[in-house]
Amino acid sequence: MRALIVSVALLLASITLPTGAVTVQPSDASITRAKEILKGIDDLWRGDSSHAIFSMHVRTEHYQRTMQMEAWSKGKDKSLVKILKPLKEKGTASLKSGKHLYSYLPRTDRTIRLTSGMMMGSWMGSHFTNDDLVDESRMEEDYTPAVTFEGQRNGQNIIEFALIPHEDAAVVWGKIIMTIFANSLLPIEEIFYDEDGVETRRMTFSDYKVMAGAERPAVMRVTPTDKPDEYTEIIYEKLELNVDLKDSLFSINSLKHRH
Amino acid sequence: MLMHFAFRNLWRHRQRTFVTIAAMGLAGSIMIFYSALMEGMLFASERNAISMNSGEMQLHVENYRRDPDLYKRIDGSYSIINKLQQAGFNASPRLYGFALAAAGTASSGVKMSAIDIDYESKVTKIHNHVMRGSWLSKDLPNDVVIGRRLARTLGVDVGDEVVIVGQAADGSMADALFNIRGILKSVGEEIDRAGFYMNVSTFRELMVIPEGSHEIVIMPKDGYSNTLNERLEQVRKLVPQLELLSWKKLLPAIAEILDMTDASIVVMILITYIAVGMVILNAMLMGVFERIREFGVMKALGFSPWQIFSLILLESQIQVALASMITIGVGIPLSLYFSVHGIDLSQFTSGFTFGGVALDPHWRSMLTPQSVIMPVGLLFAIATLAVIYPAIKAAVIQPIEAIHHQ
Repeated sequence: MRALIVSVALLLASITLPTGAVTVQPSDASITRAKEILKGIDDLWRGDSSHAIFSMHVRTEHYQRTMQMEAWSKGKDKSLVKILKPLKEKGTASLKSGKHLYSYLPRTDRTIRLTSGMMMGSWMGSHFTNDDLVDESRMEEDYTPAVTFEGQRNGQNIIEFALIPHEDAAVVWGKIIMTIFANSLLPIEEIFYDEDGVETRRMTFSDYKVMAGAERPAVMRVTPTDKPDEYTEIIYEKLELNVDLKDSLFSINSLKHRH
Repeated sequence: MLMHFAFRNLWRHRQRTFVTIAAMGLAGSIMIFYSALMEGMLFASERNAISMNSGEMQLHVENYRRDPDLYKRIDGSYSIINKLQQAGFNASPRLYGFALAAAGTASSGVKMSAIDIDYESKVTKIHNHVMRGSWLSKDLPNDVVIGRRLARTLGVDVGDEVVIVGQAADGSMADALFNIRGILKSVGEEIDRAGFYMNVSTFRELMVIPEGSHEIVIMPKDGYSNTLNERLEQVRKLVPQLELLSWKKLLPAIAEILDMTDASIVVMILITYIAVGMVILNAMLMGVFERIREFGVMKALGFSPWQIFSLILLESQIQVALASMITIGVGIPLSLYFSVHGIDLSQFTSGFTFGGVALDPHWRSMLTPQSVIMPVGLLFAIATLAVIYPAIKAAVIQPIEAIHHQ
């Protein structure tokens, strides 16, 4: 499930890029080196705190919708997402606190805790699951990486990894194939396979630009393999890192408040 | 001439004749009544099973059942229902949706069932299975009725509030607050655990589904006059574009239990028939062996063995014919009486379940052509078989031997 985290992490986690922390050393043993790179990417999405505004565009066979959201995060287990638009859902909030996920529903003025049975359900009608929001796995800790390709592809220097989860890792994927830029170490694409080795979804990154002091992909799109015409796209509009946030922001009580 | 002799013989031993006829007649009546009771039990279990929730047949869009998707809807369901009503069926539209229900800190996944109360009450009897509170009302759009295990999971009772969160058909969030109006009795695993009934108009608004339905449930207005297969064919011709499933496919476990019961009832009926057959056999045997000397005398007077054999057979047939009249005259009214009034079992039990389906504590018989033809036919068969051996014996016996027969 780590995979999703990379994507949703953008919305939920803060981003601190320890620039130059990872240097590619071709002489290194493949696994050790791959782990180093993954650690860098994991850290790309995690930091002390963050504040972001992004829009989410969902396109399915049956509907198309765009939402605007505001998100805050602190540490790796506290995050809050509130819907700004559309009006019908304005104020709806998802709070992740530890391993629990709460939803605040402004229309009924109720806060509910999502049960484990709901975790694989769609989050806000998107192609993300609720589980993607609470997942805390780390590529570098839960998967054994191997560099499967390195060199030119489509005129760009890239590195391709195959990530196989450890037997005891609490992840839902059977394999992840990840492609990154060889120079910047920023992700290009991730392909997720289930436990039977069947491709289930694909995440692509684009619109690399400087946000919060470093270059990052501003757009990420997830496409389910069995429905290639559907996707969910997240587009960053604003990103601030290492902002000062109070712990009380991530409490059930604060869910009701408008910010 | 033989006819004349037969009647004369029967009349001369009129006491024994009447006893034999009465014994056969009553035995036959009991067989009819017993068959009718068993048929009634089977029919009631079947009707009960299907009138609880599934109906006798259901219509869906192709593959809805394999993959119950919010978007696989039947268009123009009310015009289909109209057509079905004109063809002698009652039918009801339903919509389903999965969502999360929460009350306090507890939450559970639910299967929302949206029903049109007016139509549904003609098709299923789920409204009779409310344990606490009452059934849905059209005037109270925010009231719901839920399964008993769901109520326990959520820790709610009648009068409490429950929040529903799901995803509407347009991808937006579907959330609303409902009042619990009723809690159902145990009606089946899925409904007990996740059943969440609401008015169809409420559901349409919540889930942003202005028209169409996921399911049309069908019940025949009367289930006696033709067979299930004939009715299936009838519906298939009316709506060929939709997937039609009979209750045997919808409730395979219950269908199997009922089939097994059917087989065991046949065995029970057979045992009863054998017991009754023994009574008839005995009466016929005694009737001949008692008169063996008489037959000896007749042979001495010049009757041929064939004439003796025919005479005995004729006598038995006359008796069976009279007994059949009693059988029909007593058995049919008896069965008809209990098909209306039923045997009240409520003093023994407050309601019992059979194969996971609640049964009516009134046990009603059901008279089918089979439950009359079988006993009467069997009466003739047993009486004829029973009399063949003594008739042959009487036909071939030497007169001198017969006269000395004790």
